[in-house]
Amino acid sequence: MSGSKPQAKPTPQSNYSGPVIVDPVTRIEGHLRIDAVVEKGKIVDVRSSSQLFRGLEIILKGRDPRDAQHFTQRACGVCTYVHALASTRCVDNAVKVKIPKNATLMRNLVMASQYLHDHLVHFYHLHALDWVNVANALKADPAKTAVLSNSLSPNRKETAAQFKAVQDKVGALVASGKLGIFTNAYFLGEKKNEAYYLPAEADLMATKHYLDALHMQVKAARAMAIFGAKNPHTQFTVVGGVTNYDALKPERIAEYKALTDEVTAFIKDFYIPDLLAVAGFYKDWAAIGGTTNFISCGEYPTDEYNLDSRFFPQGTVMKRDIAKPGNFDSNQIKEHVKHSWYAGEAALHPYKGVTEPKYTNLNDKDRYSWMKAPRYNDEACETGPLATVLVAFAKGHKPTVDAVNFVLKTLNVGPAALFSTLGRTAARGIECLVTANQIPVWLNALVSNVKGGDTELYTPWKMPDEAEGVGFVQAPRGLLSHWIKIKKGKIENFQLVVPSTWSLGPRCANGKLGPVEEALMGTPIFDPARPVEILRTVHSFDPCIACGVHVLDAHTGKTASFKVL
Amino acid sequence: MTDEKKRILVLGVGNVLFTDEGIGVRAVDEIERLYDVSDNVTLMDGGTLGTRLMDPILNCEHLIVIDAVLGDGPAGSVYRLTGEDLRKSLAFKDSMHQTDLVDTLIMCEIVGNRPEAVIIGMEPFDYHTMAIELSPVAKERQEALMGFVLEEIANAGGTFSKKAVPGPTTQEREPCA
Repeated sequence: MSGSKPQAKPTPQSNYSGPVIVDPVTRIEGHLRIDAVVEKGKIVDVRSSSQLFRGLEIILKGRDPRDAQHFTQRACGVCTYVHALASTRCVDNAVKVKIPKNATLMRNLVMASQYLHDHLVHFYHLHALDWVNVANALKADPAKTAVLSNSLSPNRKETAAQFKAVQDKVGALVASGKLGIFTNAYFLGEKKNEAYYLPAEADLMATKHYLDALHMQVKAARAMAIFGAKNPHTQFTVVGGVTNYDALKPERIAEYKALTDEVTAFIKDFYIPDLLAVAGFYKDWAAIGGTTNFISCGEYPTDEYNLDSRFFPQGTVMKRDIAKPGNFDSNQIKEHVKHSWYAGEAALHPYKGVTEPKYTNLNDKDRYSWMKAPRYNDEACETGPLATVLVAFAKGHKPTVDAVNFVLKTLNVGPAALFSTLGRTAARGIECLVTANQIPVWLNALVSNVKGGDTELYTPWKMPDEAEGVGFVQAPRGLLSHWIKIKKGKIENFQLVVPSTWSLGPRCANGKLGPVEEALMGTPIFDPARPVEILRTVHSFDPCIACGVHVLDAHTGKTASFKVL
Repeated sequence: MTDEKKRILVLGVGNVLFTDEGIGVRAVDEIERLYDVSDNVTLMDGGTLGTRLMDPILNCEHLIVIDAVLGDGPAGSVYRLTGEDLRKSLAFKDSMHQTDLVDTLIMCEIVGNRPEAVIIGMEPFDYHTMAIELSPVAKERQEALMGFVLEEIANAGGTFSKKAVPGPTTQEREPCA
């Protein structure tokens, strides 16, 4: 099979009619329920429902604005830094402090390492099992797998023996029943799930790289800890700048550089070629799972006060029209609650936002989610890597344009293919690659500032009596904004509009579907008991629904060997 | 083990925003505030679990996790779960987390180093209400929980001593600026 271009397969279909409920969706952060109605093998109605209430807004009232970041970054086990940054930026903005250049660079470098980490983990550890059949990898020929893999990048030198070793390791896991990380994967079952259709060799190749990426993500996390003081909860951002003075030392910078260089090489030689190889076999998914409107605030500023100074440009693409990108205008944001478990029906701008919970019940089709429904100009907008990449592509951002064209050419598809589940997954790789390539630029700027004697990381400031501010972060999962109102030096109101509410929120007051709902409409379901097609699209959004509960549940297993102290 | 002392990682995990779910993090903070520990012991606030904890876990030989655990006992009961029991008894099916502790340990095993692991956990009274204070029950039992953790540290080859002057409590600490 190596050498020959894979052909798009027809998507396997069924004649099933009835409900399909995935609850909870696994391999995501938090608790999401997808409630779909299927007719003749295709989804005709769907609701995306978040089952966790986030009451952060309530807990923050009356506190010192400087403390907001320590609470918001605990909302979630994954996106800790991005919340810390958004909270810090919104207070920076409210108190009108101009932070030093080096502080901006430090914030960017930590963010970049988070991107590398998150996208790598997403592709290999959260999303790959939707495409890759690990059980099928056991049937592969290790020698042919080595040939296939090495054909994808000149820097790969993989051997049949290495692939054989992976087969043995995975085979032992499957035989012992200790499937662990593969538990509940939809390729498991007595009958093969026809919705998976990679050749066994591609399955084995991806399985090996799944394991290799485990090593690599550790390095990305370590890079993040070097500048971020610690991980998972970074402790270096403060209103007015950053406090990681230790990170100005040449040996620290060298450490960060060595780690990010290594991860960048892995992204170029493994992540991107693997992504393209898998995508080549699943080209039918370039016509499934698309949405219509996209929004990004851009990221990596040189001037924190100017959204137009960001490396990835801010903007919108509405109605899939990449010929006419718009500018991002935060006044156009409103959060709807008509179909959410909150009181009332008013759609409000975040500064005026109210968080007043009012739960109905799980089977309510009218009010069905703890998420609010953010809308931009009354439209549901997807955010995240696809939005970042589409906006950057539409605005002619050269590094992004080059990467997009390379991907489209390799897959032999046009730009329309981007509006799909496959496009979303490819965009994440593109965003990761473009970010990785930019790291040396920021690092060199930092080094040259330090060499020139500029070691400024913090600007002093004074807490005003009354103020309001906003912090925009284009996080790995998309547009995140924190909105603060300060009164008598304390938090009067605090609202978070998080990426997953943009992408995974419910219907709005005008009855318009949320992006993931729109994306799932029409999706074919081959096996209603193992609806991997739903997971493909939902996972392609990289859902992250503020982790609330993670208490170990001893009830669900054999608890006999517990020792009570 | 030769004369090198085992590297011990004490990892408090949980979400401090949900009352007793934060018991592990609170306990590790409190141990850090009140005790000096030997060089081979690292105290760490792990927050909510995820693959980002793999680096410190891979670098230790003995892992002590402090967490909220749902057993069958009344609120405040303290449990001890060991590595192999974890694998048998705790379902990691339908994890609400991106990756939970057991997944993370399995990943560490695949990558090459799965440390000896033990969980010292407490039955929570309330882990749903969004509040940063522990429940009175959990607060009352926190010292007992810490006692078991210290015993575990000692058994694993670590030492500790009470600080002459305890560090500031969270309330006493100035917000950083």
